[in-house]
Amino acid sequence: MLRLILRNLVEKKIRFALTTLTVVMGVMFVVGAFVLTDSLRATFSELASDIASGTDLIVRTAQEVGGDFDRPPLPEDLVDPVARVDGVGQVLPAVAAVNVVIVDGDGEAIVPPGPPALGFNFRDSLFFLVEGRAPVGGGEFAADADTAARNNLRVGGTYAINGPIRAEDFELVGVFNFGSPDTNTSVGQTMAAFDLPTAQRFLGFEGEVLTIGVRVSPGADPAAVKADLEAALGDSYEVITQQIVAQEQEADFGDFINIFNWILLVFAFIAVFVSAFIINNTFQMVLDQRVREIGLWRAVGATPRQVGWSVIGESAVVGALATAVGIGCGMGLSVVLRVLLRAGGFGLPSGPLELRPRTVLLAVLVGLGVTVISSVGPALRARRISPIAALHHGYRIAPAGLRRRLITGGAVAAAGVAALIAGMFGGLGTAPTLALIGAGALATFIGINTVSPAFARPIARLLGRPMQAVFRVPGRIARENAARNPRRTASTAGALMIGLALVGLTAVVGESVETTFVRTLDNAVTADYFVRSTRQGFNPSAGFSEQVADDLEALDELDRVVRYRFAFGSVEVNGIPRDITAAEMAAVESHLDGDVVSGDLASADPPTSVALHVDPAADLQVGVGDTVEMTFPDNETATLTVAAVYADATIYGNWLIDLALWDEHFNRSDLAFASATIAGFSDDLDEAEQAVLLDRSRAAIDEALADYPTVKAENRVEFRQSQQAQLNSFLIVITLFLGLALVIALVGITNTLALSVFERTREIGLLRAVGMTRRQLRRSIRWEAAIVAVFGALLGVAVGVVFGVAATLALPDAFVNDVRIPWTTLAVYVAVSALAGLIAAIGPARRAGRMKVLDAIAYE
Amino acid sequence: MTDTTTLAVAARAVGATKIYGAGDTEVRALDAIDVSFEQGRFTAIMGPSGSGKSTLMHCMAGLDTVTGGQVFIGDTDLSTLSERDLTLLRRDHVGFVFQAFNLVPTLNAIENITLPMDLAGADGDPAWIDEVVDTTGLGDRVKHRPNELSGGQQQRVAVARALAGKPQIIFADEPTGNVDSNTGAEILDFMGRAVTEMGQTIVMVTHDAAVAARADRVVFLVDGKIVDELADPTPEGIRDRMNRLGT
Ligand SMILES: Nc1ncnc2c1ncn2[C@@H]1O[C@H](COP(=O)(O)OP(=O)(O)O)[C@@H](O)[C@H]1O
Ligand SMILES: [Mg+2]
Repeated sequence: MLRLILRNLVEKKIRFALTTLTVVMGVMFVVGAFVLTDSLRATFSELASDIASGTDLIVRTAQEVGGDFDRPPLPEDLVDPVARVDGVGQVLPAVAAVNVVIVDGDGEAIVPPGPPALGFNFRDSLFFLVEGRAPVGGGEFAADADTAARNNLRVGGTYAINGPIRAEDFELVGVFNFGSPDTNTSVGQTMAAFDLPTAQRFLGFEGEVLTIGVRVSPGADPAAVKADLEAALGDSYEVITQQIVAQEQEADFGDFINIFNWILLVFAFIAVFVSAFIINNTFQMVLDQRVREIGLWRAVGATPRQVGWSVIGESAVVGALATAVGIGCGMGLSVVLRVLLRAGGFGLPSGPLELRPRTVLLAVLVGLGVTVISSVGPALRARRISPIAALHHGYRIAPAGLRRRLITGGAVAAAGVAALIAGMFGGLGTAPTLALIGAGALATFIGINTVSPAFARPIARLLGRPMQAVFRVPGRIARENAARNPRRTASTAGALMIGLALVGLTAVVGESVETTFVRTLDNAVTADYFVRSTRQGFNPSAGFSEQVADDLEALDELDRVVRYRFAFGSVEVNGIPRDITAAEMAAVESHLDGDVVSGDLASADPPTSVALHVDPAADLQVGVGDTVEMTFPDNETATLTVAAVYADATIYGNWLIDLALWDEHFNRSDLAFASATIAGFSDDLDEAEQAVLLDRSRAAIDEALADYPTVKAENRVEFRQSQQAQLNSFLIVITLFLGLALVIALVGITNTLALSVFERTREIGLLRAVGMTRRQLRRSIRWEAAIVAVFGALLGVAVGVVFGVAATLALPDAFVNDVRIPWTTLAVYVAVSALAGLIAAIGPARRAGRMKVLDAIAYE
Repeated sequence: MTDTTTLAVAARAVGATKIYGAGDTEVRALDAIDVSFEQGRFTAIMGPSGSGKSTLMHCMAGLDTVTGGQVFIGDTDLSTLSERDLTLLRRDHVGFVFQAFNLVPTLNAIENITLPMDLAGADGDPAWIDEVVDTTGLGDRVKHRPNELSGGQQQRVAVARALAGKPQIIFADEPTGNVDSNTGAEILDFMGRAVTEMGQTIVMVTHDAAVAARADRVVFLVDGKIVDELADPTPEGIRDRMNRLGT
């Protein structure tokens, strides 16, 4: 039996190769995801231990909440007592800060796209010079090798640096590798290093340091030194070992890597899912082509069981080979991704590729599993082939009846929708929710795909009508061929349907969110200017110095400046880390209206008040006048009174405190955002007067901000546009991601078409014999593909719109409360699909064109 | 060969040679064949299996190319034509009927009949097409697809397609080989009328002496060479000739 299977595969090489290709894609993404992240993890863990190796112990403030940059500093006076402890060989005081932005020679601020812009004090243990010397004194700095190379920074040049407090000019005296002598440990962050006193002054650590590194003297036992230090310093401080430092470092990197892993796995899941459709379809087609041969087997005595197993066996061989190839391609993919990420500004270190047994196991499960499962249906059908098939030319395996199709498909789709609803509204944990949504989507798609052959023929005929009108015979042939085998057309279109459904869903939700967002912004915004970092988003490492606000407030043209600080997960309420926003409570409403539904911000007592959004208020069951316990990064817990509850989280976030309270508990004073009003501006002024004020204030602001290239001020319109643009670019990224499904779907179209062309060899020969030119032939095949693609795209858009509307209704109202369907965008997607179909058909059409007329006629 | 000087030639071969393979496996399917087919005549080609009958049809119809010598349709030397021009020649000037699988399964009978001119974007001659369709005797079945027609009906549609575009010449390779003898006779009748009533030129390969006897002339092929021919044949005459040729 195995010999027969293998012979069969070898003889039908192309068919075999095409089937394998789709499986390879699925496996490739799974393997690529894991190899990339495992390799990064291995490399980073090595780097983390490199970074930690410079010191044996680190002394720092004990801290329970907040990130590293929220950690309260130590008094400088602690350095001497630490140095005096027995066994301490060398003390290495350290300071570090975010938002230390170097301005390059062309006056452009160097802002990494995602990773932070960091400033440190220079230490030999961590910074390894590759050029120049260490910075000494107030006017010098050193930069990391990648930042220097990428931005053409030259030793000896003078560059402005925007610190967290102010901007200053420094001379670049050295270039270093961070963490290790050989490679610069970087995930794309920029690094500037100064000598200790300069770093303290410039980075805002006057009289303070962030941590104190300790190297034990030769022969001393680090554990004993640690114990002595702990005894000497007391409870407010902690002493950690090199291993813990390395672990923490690795965990930081790990978060970053996990995000990649998740994104790639979602990719892989979509790829595998779409591939499964294509594989199933291919086996079905291959079976149709082999009906006579199988009939012959049956005639010479093969049992239905044997026939069924031979189909499964063939799929197993395909799956095994595809898995092997997919593993190889996946390793290649991980290299390509690494290069792409690096090009995108995420400087990922290179290192050996890690192929773990777990990855191989998963690849086998996916490659072999999906293939074999996809072939079960065809195998069952193969068992029904009777020996007469061998004798009867036009024999077809009876397809499942229309009624049965509608019933089973409808039932499966209904179950899928039920699972989706349960997932969205069930209020379950993250894992079961995702599982339900995933399974629900799966079942819905399979259900729709089961039903869709029922209307594939009339729709394909309808879609083909204009082609027939334009291209006459080739159009007619395209139309008829698309309608000829509804099951095949539907399955081929199915893969595209999934891709388009996902993209369509994103488009509907995106458009609805944008509409809601823009309306909220229009209603809430009363300030005239918005000042923020040129880097996008409320990123804690994307703020700017408070001096900017001071400078703006000093302008006569401006009335009032409101400052906003922000930190991710840096306070704890009820044991859960929360993001926190701080602003002057009394003034904030006059600039940005958060739609307070109860209580009053203006009369709140700044140091003891908190305001929160209606959602967390409902979760915690607190209202105005109730108290909330909030723990800060300095380990202090304050009992705060709820002053107000608001409905719009767009600006304030979920938790809002006053600047006074923030400054008590945070050592960071950089601003995430600032808003300003124009002096004398009011809606009662006529347009000309308003324009004069706008122009004058704009000029003054531009002059004031000239020193701060990382900061920009936008007026109301600009602000709205840039927020919209940000949302849009986010949507585009998601859409591109989902576009992957389209690429696989295209491979599916190519695949189906190639097999169809193969199947129609004689017919093609005949058409050519009676005078169809190659061009006409190719055209007919291309348009056939376009019809199939548009069919899939329309189905997908329909499903996507339904899902999108459902998701919009399911999302919280604060986020989206206005259902909008972007018809133009969706129409463009359909058009792009048609175009993609045409492109997918190029290969098969060429092949068909190259067939020799006589060979085609003689083909049996 | 009395009429050759008075009748125009629809197609001819001059030293046409077709060699398959090379060296030990070389097969001379056509060996320097000279033959002319005059306009308005019905020629039958006979010969043992493997003698090169199909190869001759294919090469003369522009479906295949000769490896030596020349083939003309009218005055056009096929060896000078590009692939595209050959296709257009087949479409506009040559008709072809195969033994089986003559029709495009997705098109109905009438669409199959008008396929070449539709491909050309030409309207054809409606009266003529009506006449041709009429003679198929398909009646209202012309709107049916091939799989709904009998084998004989399918072959008649194929012949009708070959006739519809008024080609210079029609080649038919065992057109009755796949149908029973009654149906075969019908098809033959149909082709015979095309020659006598419509003035068509037909070259047909057949094994059947009775069928060949319907032709104006029979050409005998053995091992890629023309070994004999017979004008105004009778079945007895053909059988006699065939026996002498040792087939
Ligand atoms: N494509 C081909 N390749 C090799 N030999 C061929 C090919 N086609 C035909 N032949 C050979 O050429 C000779 C003539 O074939 P053919 O014209 O089909 O004969 P007939 O139609 O008279 O039976 C045969 O010997 C056949 O084997
Ligand atoms: Mg033959």
